[in-house]
Amino acid sequence: MLLRFLTAFALLSPLASPAELVIVASPRSGAIELSREQAEKLYLGRTTTLADGTPVKLVDLPSGATRDEFYLKLTNKNPSQILAYRSRLVFTGRAYPPLEAESVTEARQWLADTPNLIGYLERGDVTGNLRILLRLP
Amino acid sequence: MRQLLTTLLLALAAGSAAADAPTRFALSGFGTLGVVRSDKDDYHFRSSGTQSANSPGQNFDPSVDSVLGIQGTGRLHDQLDLTVQAISRQATGYNYTPHITWAYLRYRATPALTVRVGRTTTPFFMFSDSLNLNYATPWVRPPSEVYNLNPFSDLDGIDLLYRIPLGEMDLEIQGLFGNSAVSARSASTRLKNAKGINFGLVGSGFSAHAGYARTRLELQWDDGFYRALSNLLTALDEKAALAELSGTKGTTEFFSAGFQWEKNNWLTIAEFAKRRADRYINSAHAWYVTVGYHFNSLTPYATYSQQTQDAPASDARLPPVFMPLVNLYNAPRNNAQHGVALGLRWDLARNIALKSQIERIDAAPGGRGMFPSDSAADYLKPTSPVHLFSMSVDFVF
Repeated sequence: MLLRFLTAFALLSPLASPAELVIVASPRSGAIELSREQAEKLYLGRTTTLADGTPVKLVDLPSGATRDEFYLKLTNKNPSQILAYRSRLVFTGRAYPPLEAESVTEARQWLADTPNLIGYLERGDVTGNLRILLRLP
Repeated sequence: MRQLLTTLLLALAAGSAAADAPTRFALSGFGTLGVVRSDKDDYHFRSSGTQSANSPGQNFDPSVDSVLGIQGTGRLHDQLDLTVQAISRQATGYNYTPHITWAYLRYRATPALTVRVGRTTTPFFMFSDSLNLNYATPWVRPPSEVYNLNPFSDLDGIDLLYRIPLGEMDLEIQGLFGNSAVSARSASTRLKNAKGINFGLVGSGFSAHAGYARTRLELQWDDGFYRALSNLLTALDEKAALAELSGTKGTTEFFSAGFQWEKNNWLTIAEFAKRRADRYINSAHAWYVTVGYHFNSLTPYATYSQQTQDAPASDARLPPVFMPLVNLYNAPRNNAQHGVALGLRWDLARNIALKSQIERIDAAPGGRGMFPSDSAADYLKPTSPVHLFSMSVDFVF
């Protein structure tokens, strides 16, 4: 019985969405360059700056399939691994979690308005007032 | 200390209301509700020397693992922030009374160099900085064979963290200086002028740690076995042996190294630790290896862990007729044991993990491992293997 329940639980877990994800920033941020390695370091709290030393802040989408897919693609960690990993950074005061937007619209607004703020979106959600820094196919 | 905390939190909250940037001030918390049950009436598991010996053995005991923590972090300036954390758990000296575990100002002098002043944690182990945060690890609790080697967790002082990129990895070097105090089961004890250096290597899915610390140790035992032996040594005029039981002249060294590696859903964690003391406490070393596998939200794991005594707390050489009393003194101060644990972590919802663990533990001869007793008779009986069942819910908010 327990096994059947657990199997059902596993099957109900969010399945990978096929959408392409991109990391974006405001065009006002200047000539930002972002490698995949640097993006992983930023989102895992291992650095707070770009490779050239520019301090940046990060945006997270609300909990959901896009966010889970982003972390899986970028860091190879599933949602529970990310939460466990990040709790350790937060509860040692080592790193701040990204700013969590309440919706894609809010995230997009923040990203368009704020220089040196970095976030991720589905490719189809990117508007003209954002610049794509990195694609995560 | 608690008044200071309240004042600081209020000041920060007031500051954050006026600020326009988000996350000026953040309040968050974590906790564990856990129970442990042993299959033997007279074997009460204690994961740390700070937990009292008296309490039910076979009953479901919530005092070993349950903990609640709350933390406030405030950004005072782009390069300066304040972190304050308090926890409540059952431990000698503060039975569930909130205890400050972090209270430090952090100054990021450069992107590579950070200075922290105030109360931080001793970096003796790989998971020292998150000892109470069980949500962050697969286990019900960090393997006690290693983690009970050092009960000191608060460090009042200063540390410097320097980060150097090393290819795709980062090397972090930490130097620290400070003092620490702890009320243990049958002793009050202090570390004075602790000096340490720590190396952390972090890469994608991999991290490693190695550290060394040297410190003065002050310790005053206060248990029946101690009183019996110190009376005897006084009567025999064994001044040298007596001076090695308790006092303010100890020196201790601590070394630990470990790594964590996650690849293709496999998880491996291993750690080694050794403490060497010239008096007052025993010298011992310990290690563990954990292997786990992530199936979506389920992480089953297995751990083997072992602690071995290198030198007893007292090496007093007395006429043979008195040696049983020396042995009886040393027995509760020897936590050597080895154990096998099988466990399962289930991330049943965001921010909540349910864990269960079964262990078989064998105490090494000459002690009762991590099953302390106040009764001499318990130490004279031969030990037998003990099975432990633990269950806990870990959460963060």
